[in-house]
Amino acid sequence: MTSPSASSRKALSKIACNRLQKELVEWQVNPPAGFKHKVTDNLQRWIIEVTGAPGTLYAGETYQLQVDFPEHYPMEAPQVIFVPPAPPHPHIYSNGHICLDILYDSWSPAMTVSSICISLLSMLSSSPAKQRPADNDRYVKNCKNGRSPKETRWWFHDDKV
Amino acid sequence: MAEEEVMAELEAVEAVYGDDCQVIEPYPPHLHVHLKPRTADISSQQFVEATIGMRAGSQYPEEPPVISIIDSKGLDERRQKLLITSISDIAFELASCLMLVALCEEAVERLTSMNHPDGDCPLCLYPLLDEDSGSNSLPFMKLMSCFHCFHCDCIIRWWNFIQMQSEKEIMSSSSSTSSRIVTDQQGMRKMMEGSMGKCPVCRKVFLTKDIEHVLDLVGTGAQLDSGRIEVDADILQSDSEKIRRQKFEAVLKLQQENSGLIEPKRNEVLLPGMFLPQAVTAPSSESDMTSSGTQNNDPSDKSETNSSSSVNRPGSRKQSNSNMRRHRPQNSRNQVRHWVRKDNVSNN
Repeated sequence: MTSPSASSRKALSKIACNRLQKELVEWQVNPPAGFKHKVTDNLQRWIIEVTGAPGTLYAGETYQLQVDFPEHYPMEAPQVIFVPPAPPHPHIYSNGHICLDILYDSWSPAMTVSSICISLLSMLSSSPAKQRPADNDRYVKNCKNGRSPKETRWWFHDDKV
Repeated sequence: MAEEEVMAELEAVEAVYGDDCQVIEPYPPHLHVHLKPRTADISSQQFVEATIGMRAGSQYPEEPPVISIIDSKGLDERRQKLLITSISDIAFELASCLMLVALCEEAVERLTSMNHPDGDCPLCLYPLLDEDSGSNSLPFMKLMSCFHCFHCDCIIRWWNFIQMQSEKEIMSSSSSTSSRIVTDQQGMRKMMEGSMGKCPVCRKVFLTKDIEHVLDLVGTGAQLDSGRIEVDADILQSDSEKIRRQKFEAVLKLQQENSGLIEPKRNEVLLPGMFLPQAVTAPSSESDMTSSGTQNNDPSDKSETNSSSSVNRPGSRKQSNSNMRRHRPQNSRNQVRHWVRKDNVSNN
């Protein structure tokens, strides 16, 4: 909550609030398998614990996701990053940024936190190797000063992982 | 049962369902039938449809055919399962009878009973149809291409948002500020011509007229895109718009003064003889009383009210039409001439 991006963020609109409350209730009744929402009183930033699916490279490992919601959620995509240490994965940078089209260009307001989580777990599960992206160092250097991954011009080229 | 009888039944099915029936294999019968609820004649009242696959074995009709859903719209998994179960149940009941038409009719029956949107609005996650609140449910709409339903308010909010986003992109791509309005208009036209959107749920392309229809119904057409509003802001400051507004206000005021009537009196004004004092006194006396009553509230018009009645009447009638000139001192004679000319121009 102390990061500069959090304090400068605009508060949720009423519509965004209603929708998030609805999602939270839904989550409490029926959470996606492998995910645990850490209860806080902050509706605008969710911290979610991910546990790697059994039988995959990340089995039993636990990572933390940070989901920040913009003023006009769900029209705008939430910002989703792994809280470092991020899982080593060909599409996840060491600063926690995730290269996944649905978080950026392919976002649709019909998606939910729950559906994002399922996509992320599927992305982790299909990983062939615990490896950083080839351009990890360059990208992370460019992202200093807490730049949001939503400002990155992503290039989605690999649909296999 | 004989092969001929089964073949004859297939012919019957084809006759009943026409183009909606696709025969994959004549014997043993394997067919796909596209089925709609009975109410589907009114397309706006159709929320579900399905293509049912029926695949019979060589033991048909002793052994019922295998039922599957090839394609469907508006049916979630639960309702798809329900549909298959109910058709399969009937198939078992009718074993050893020729049953294909009966199975299709059962499917139509089921679809008819399911012909309402189900579940939550994908955008706000609140129910589309709230059984508890009954008629208090919010209005919703359906995309014709995929039958996905949304609350009208929700889809319009989303639509306006994506229009605004693409406007922004167009704006940021054009650096020169002088060509901004032009670019906006081009962008608008591009969107109108593009006339395609993608369903938020399935990304299936839909025609924007689906949405525009809803915009019309809700009466928010003016908010279709922010670009138009921005262009308006520029137009609003232009002289032509100011004049247009003054004219409108003049007509509106006139309408209020004459309790809604404009036309007959306006004809009077246009008569050239009207401006001669003798000709005017009689017919104008009545309207002078009504119009002076409202005029007295407006101090700026007092000088005009005090002038002779022949001048006063057209002046009061179109006073805001002359707003532009009001500040300039003018003798009443000039004003009258001006009016005659102007009215002639606008009426020719």
